[in-house]
Amino acid sequence: MATVEINELRKSFGDVETLHGISFSIPDGAFVALVGPSGCGKSTILRLVAGLEEITSGDIYIGDNIINDIEPKDRNIAMVFQNYALYPHLTVAQNMGFSLKLLKKSKVEIERAVKEAAEILGIGELLHRLPKQLSGGQRQRVAMGRAIVRQPQVFLFDEPLSNLDAKLRVQMRAELKALHRRLATTTIYVTHDQIEAMTMADIVVVMRDGNVEQVGRPLELYDKPVNQFVAGFIGSPAMGFLPATTKVGSNEMVFSDGQVLSKPTYATLDGGYIIGLRPEHIRLGGDGASFKATIEASEQTGSETMLVARLADQEITILLRERFDTPIGDAHAFVIDPTAVQVFDSKTGARLET
Amino acid sequence: MSARARVRRTNFMLDILLFVICILLLTPLILLIANGFKTPQEMLVWPPTLFPKDPTLQNFHKVFTETPLLQWMFNSFAFAILSTIAIVSTSALAGYIIGKFPFRSINIIFVLFLATAIIPFEVYMIPLYFQVKALGLLNSIGGLLVGYLVMSFGIFLIRQNVIASIPDELLEAARIDGAGELWIFWYVVLPLLRGPLAALAVLAFFQAWTAFAWPIIVTTRKASFTIEVGLANFQSAYTIDLSLLSAASAAVMVPSVLAFVLLRRNFVEGIAASGMKD
Repeated sequence: MATVEINELRKSFGDVETLHGISFSIPDGAFVALVGPSGCGKSTILRLVAGLEEITSGDIYIGDNIINDIEPKDRNIAMVFQNYALYPHLTVAQNMGFSLKLLKKSKVEIERAVKEAAEILGIGELLHRLPKQLSGGQRQRVAMGRAIVRQPQVFLFDEPLSNLDAKLRVQMRAELKALHRRLATTTIYVTHDQIEAMTMADIVVVMRDGNVEQVGRPLELYDKPVNQFVAGFIGSPAMGFLPATTKVGSNEMVFSDGQVLSKPTYATLDGGYIIGLRPEHIRLGGDGASFKATIEASEQTGSETMLVARLADQEITILLRERFDTPIGDAHAFVIDPTAVQVFDSKTGARLET
Repeated sequence: MSARARVRRTNFMLDILLFVICILLLTPLILLIANGFKTPQEMLVWPPTLFPKDPTLQNFHKVFTETPLLQWMFNSFAFAILSTIAIVSTSALAGYIIGKFPFRSINIIFVLFLATAIIPFEVYMIPLYFQVKALGLLNSIGGLLVGYLVMSFGIFLIRQNVIASIPDELLEAARIDGAGELWIFWYVVLPLLRGPLAALAVLAFFQAWTAFAWPIIVTTRKASFTIEVGLANFQSAYTIDLSLLSAASAAVMVPSVLAFVLLRRNFVEGIAASGMKD
């Protein structure tokens, strides 16, 4: 186990810089998720930590050591790949014992380590099969087993669940989390799925275009995103955004269609802003409710109702914890909780404390 | 007619067609073997008999006693085996490196490799002969091998297979696991290339086994002939005696047929499944 420190990390491929000075640190034993849209550089960071790519500038520390120029095999890490990367010609046991064999460990020792890992993952009866005789979930477990037997200081996961079907993904998510609780090994987990990041990680690093947008605990990102990008990326269904304007001294945010949201703290603001609305912060309103929106689509899941509605000429999502059957095209009244609303600077996208 | 019956009828017609083609292709081969067992008189009968009326081993006996046929077969065999080993190892190594370490200069080298396939052998046959002569390798297996150590198609075949069927992650996983590059090549890459390498081995073996122009240039002594050269030599010396030539040819076919039968599965797999999944 060890801390990981990433300091002013830059990476260029030819003339193109894909990481623009990334810094963040990972406490000992933490589960960190790197999340962002594809092409944001999250996998590149992982590959730099693994030593599969060369660092252009900056430093990576594992524990107290700079590992920039250390060979992958000497970094004491283990990596789980998206396509599992199991050796097709070796059995499950041979796959899992591969690294120990290279470390010239005795047969008995390898066998014990493999057995132990197989027990943890519940794949004891698969040890003599070849990878092609396994299902996707089983392959995933073997890949994890191969990482576990090394007892590395750091686990690296590169979108390990994205090849699994939805149900299995949820199950493996829980298993991975439980595994981390049990081993307490520092883990870096790359994913493009913010739900995976939110549900599994202690710390989430949100990235965009080779920059870190925000580092924080999952709910911190949800409740206090630093900017509109993070606000829109974290949370599913996603936050809705409405342009609005206000004047100094006025409590009112005026949307493009003239509807008004008011809160005393708006009095200090002046000019154009973006209002962010979480789907669950909009409720059905009875008489005297403040907002009218037109329903464009409705999805009933039984326990809740998701509506896509048009408000002030923008599409927003509304999540109701009740059943609500309505014809498409009808206008309805809704209540917006002004204390839960987030306000973003319309130019920089930064969130303002209001 | 039901769909199933129609499918069955189509399959039946296909079977018949394939059977006819098969017979057409096999007839000359069967005739050749049959001719080896015929007396000179029966050879000239028209229409030719498919099965000899009075089979004799006379021809085979004569061929094996009067010519160094076994020596020629050994020469061909040694030449083909050594050439196969050389081509398989150079192709595996070069194909893997070109497929997985794609820096710019390697691509230029790869294009050069491919370009050698364009130059006809006849163009460099004479200069090569003088080189071999200068090296003192005439009439030796070494001399025969000079032009048969590398096959550009082999490098191409392995490169394509490496690109299509060995994911980068596999090599990266091995590197993280602590394997050195040679170790990875030997224990990860080579086992995964078994199919295409076997296919290449068959190709390389037959290329050398059936080579004619180069062996006839490099070998001048009867004892160092390969079987192809020997057979040709036979023909000019024994033009009239077709049964002898047939017997020699039939005897010569045995090893190649054996090799194909043994490696057939790999051969088909390697060529057909180069884009395999998983």
